[in-house]
Amino acid sequence: MKIPRLILPAILLAACWTPARAQQEMMLYNMPEYWHANGLNPAFFPKDHKLYVGLPGIALDAYNSGNLTFNDIINRSKDRLSLDFSRAIDKLGEQNDFAFDQRIETLSLGFRLKGGITISAAHAQRFHGFFVYPKGLPGLLWEGNAGPAFVGQSVALAPSARTFGWHEVRLGLAKSLGPLTVGGRVNLIAGITGVESDPNRNRITLFTDPDYYQLTVSSDYAFQSANLIQRIDTSGNGFSVGFVDDFNKGNLFAVNGRSFDIGFQLQATPRLSLSASVLDLGGQINWDRNTYAFHTEGNYTYEGGIIDGGDLLQGADIDFDVNLDTLNDIFAFKRSDQAFSSNLPTRYFGSLRYQLTDRFGVFGTFFHQQRDLRTQTAMGVGISWNPAQWFNVGAQYGYNNRSGSNLGLYLGCRPGPFQVYVATDYGLAVFRPYNASRANIRAGLSLVFGRRNQEVPE
Amino acid sequence: MLPLFIRRAAYTLGTLCLIWSCNLSSLDDLELEPRDAEFVFPLFRTTITLESLMKGILNDSLSGDTILVNPDGTMTLIYSGDLVSKPALDLFTFFPDTLIPLPDTLSELDFDAPNSIRVDRVDFTGGSIGLVAYNGTSGKIDLTMTLPGMTKNGVVFEQSKQLVAGEFYQGPLIPIDGYTLISNNNKLQVRYVAINQAGQRIKMPAVFGIPGVAIDLDKPKFSYMQGYWGYEVYPLTEDTIEIDINQTELDGNVRVVDPKVTFTIKNSWGFPTRMLVEKLVFVAPNGQEIPLQSTVLDNGTLDLGYPSWAAGEIGQTKFTNVFFDRNNSNIDDIFNAQPVRLIYDIDGIANVRQDPDVTGFITDSSVITLQVGVELLLEGSAVNFGAEQQVNLNFGDFQDLDTAKISDVEFKLVTENQTPISARLQIVFLDDQAQPIDSLFADGPASLLNAAPVDADGIAMGTQRTEVFVPMSVARFNRIRSATKGELLTYFTTANDGLVPVKLLATQQSTVKMGLRVRTRF
Repeated sequence: MKIPRLILPAILLAACWTPARAQQEMMLYNMPEYWHANGLNPAFFPKDHKLYVGLPGIALDAYNSGNLTFNDIINRSKDRLSLDFSRAIDKLGEQNDFAFDQRIETLSLGFRLKGGITISAAHAQRFHGFFVYPKGLPGLLWEGNAGPAFVGQSVALAPSARTFGWHEVRLGLAKSLGPLTVGGRVNLIAGITGVESDPNRNRITLFTDPDYYQLTVSSDYAFQSANLIQRIDTSGNGFSVGFVDDFNKGNLFAVNGRSFDIGFQLQATPRLSLSASVLDLGGQINWDRNTYAFHTEGNYTYEGGIIDGGDLLQGADIDFDVNLDTLNDIFAFKRSDQAFSSNLPTRYFGSLRYQLTDRFGVFGTFFHQQRDLRTQTAMGVGISWNPAQWFNVGAQYGYNNRSGSNLGLYLGCRPGPFQVYVATDYGLAVFRPYNASRANIRAGLSLVFGRRNQEVPE
Repeated sequence: MLPLFIRRAAYTLGTLCLIWSCNLSSLDDLELEPRDAEFVFPLFRTTITLESLMKGILNDSLSGDTILVNPDGTMTLIYSGDLVSKPALDLFTFFPDTLIPLPDTLSELDFDAPNSIRVDRVDFTGGSIGLVAYNGTSGKIDLTMTLPGMTKNGVVFEQSKQLVAGEFYQGPLIPIDGYTLISNNNKLQVRYVAINQAGQRIKMPAVFGIPGVAIDLDKPKFSYMQGYWGYEVYPLTEDTIEIDINQTELDGNVRVVDPKVTFTIKNSWGFPTRMLVEKLVFVAPNGQEIPLQSTVLDNGTLDLGYPSWAAGEIGQTKFTNVFFDRNNSNIDDIFNAQPVRLIYDIDGIANVRQDPDVTGFITDSSVITLQVGVELLLEGSAVNFGAEQQVNLNFGDFQDLDTAKISDVEFKLVTENQTPISARLQIVFLDDQAQPIDSLFADGPASLLNAAPVDADGIAMGTQRTEVFVPMSVARFNRIRSATKGELLTYFTTANDGLVPVKLLATQQSTVKMGLRVRTRF
């Protein structure tokens, strides 16, 4: 059975699980000599060239609560991969988080002007997704409602979601004031799609009566959608979702929000540097196209056909026709036009780096992200090694509010006009990806031009 | 420089390989692992009360059958024969609707009644009497006809006419409503006086042998007749009652605790009548006729109550109820044979003692009504009492269901029984041609309904729940869902394996529920 194309993104998400509960990029934050680090701090601008052209880069950061691994959901054989959630369901908690952040940087430019001024411009397509889903939902879809987890139980099925994607055009400016470099950036946002559930109307339950399997559905569930879901049709026994045409494209120039990044970098001594940044400050997307609010509310017990005993004795048919229309009508979402806004999670980075020798350095990093549904914090200490001027590796011990043992790694090369790197805050997933319960990766490629003669110790 | 470039390039490619090591693109070929999922959902629920069950059975049989819910909740099943009414006027008319010649000046006419009856008095409510005459003399005649015994307010009925010679006269019909006829000799006395021109009383000459005077009785009706009824046998009713307590050809061992045959007789005939039971037999399923023998009957007869003239009970109705039960008949034995019908033939005998001093009466509303019934208090026991019923089946969407992804199914049958009856059931599924295609239970009827426990009075206490699971392969499920009819074969056994009698109460009910578990293979 081939998986429909639309499911692939979800599979991709599941393959990149990580305990980091935010777009945690602590390793890249300690690679200021690479152009893409500018995306994490507008004050970062590599010192050895004048012009930087950022080619596509990708940042993926995803996790699912619990200890699921790739192997829990993927069966591998010589000639095929297949999805199998049967093992995964047992590992799920009653409520589970699933988060996914993605940033695809298509193109970026950085140019150093005279007087310690740098300017930058970039485009990225970003996606932020955070879901809370009950164990019952995948259990119902994968195993059905006949198991002990369902029969005789009132099972919650309602997921919570806060997810949106957007285009982002960044325009940045930084100024060096002696050892201090400060930078700021305005991000022009053009929302692509957004879906947010209503935390105050977040109930869908299914009760399967052990008597003779009567089904009781109760719902009070609402969500808002922008540029994604146009209708939910539950007529007859159907359940189809109608999407907005070309929902996944978006219009780069239909700006409907903005955010700001600020940061600094202080070269306190030739060997010690400090840096900090706040990203997506005040970020908000004001959805105003194809915005709908969907709401379903009702209680209904389906008992099958109710046959009047007297009629039966008079020769009435025994009717086994399963009339699920009414049951389906419970999910007849009412739609209304309603504009809404999505707040971007603000991210905070801080770092302290100390160069021990020409080749070795140590660093410490702090990360915090304020989400609507969860707050995430992480810290790490690491070591960097530069076996050659153009070759950098590093490792980090990281701690976050989910795990106390995260090994971060980075590897970067700067041969000639190229910069290429890969970094992860959870390195074990690189070597044992199928046994990893988490994933975090950052990779990119840049071109540099106009080498400067000035060598500045890092 | 070249080795340095190659080395740097190798490092670079190695870095890229690390990136590709994530190899997420391989997920393009990802498939869903085949999996077993199980879904359960309800199919139907029905509740049948014993009252509706019994009434349902009755509706399938005779329309005259009824079920009586007694004050204590027990039910009596009553199979009734036709209500037979025998109005007295059907048997006794007394007066012909005709022209009666008067051969002499004083004629005494017989009443139109059996010889055993003597009419003493008649009160008329309708009809009329007219004078018919022909003057066969050469002169005029003054003719006067009187009915001496027939008066109204003390005035004798009289009609006069002067006839000219050769005149044929048919006088007007005079209503007799309100007249009373008194007869001392069981005769209707008619007198006429004919006076010729000479003033002489004469007898009207006959013409061609036909008397010259006649009386025209036109539809005389009476409201009351008094007299003497002698011994007379007359038919009352002959009928058959179908008793379908066991509607099937299946085996059963039903024991009814207290069956009764009832004769309910209403009598407003005002003279003694004895019921003569010519035939009262039950017919067993094999056709054998089993006579009902009872001490209630004296050589097949029974005197009915009647309103007495002597006691001034004119217009009253007397009831006679006859019960043939276990105490006065062999009915217990008869019902153990599960009879299927009752045949009876009943006559009436007036004044069977031939008492000459009995004065009786009838009115225009006097009637004897007779109804024979079989009363079965629904208390008894049964062992494997069989019932069969054919029902239409509608599998609805299941008929079009694609079962390619179904591994198997399992029906869950739940019964909640408040009755003291247990049941084993088999459903034979039939196709459009009524040909059996499968059965619900491969190993024969299964016990679906367990009797609720009963107390010392045989009354069920509480509710007994039974769950039966019927696993079924897809192949069988496919056969069954194509069925359009089902033959329900049910075998009832009362509580305690049918060893003790139980009472069936109208409010007792059984609920049958069915759910379905479907195991899918995606």
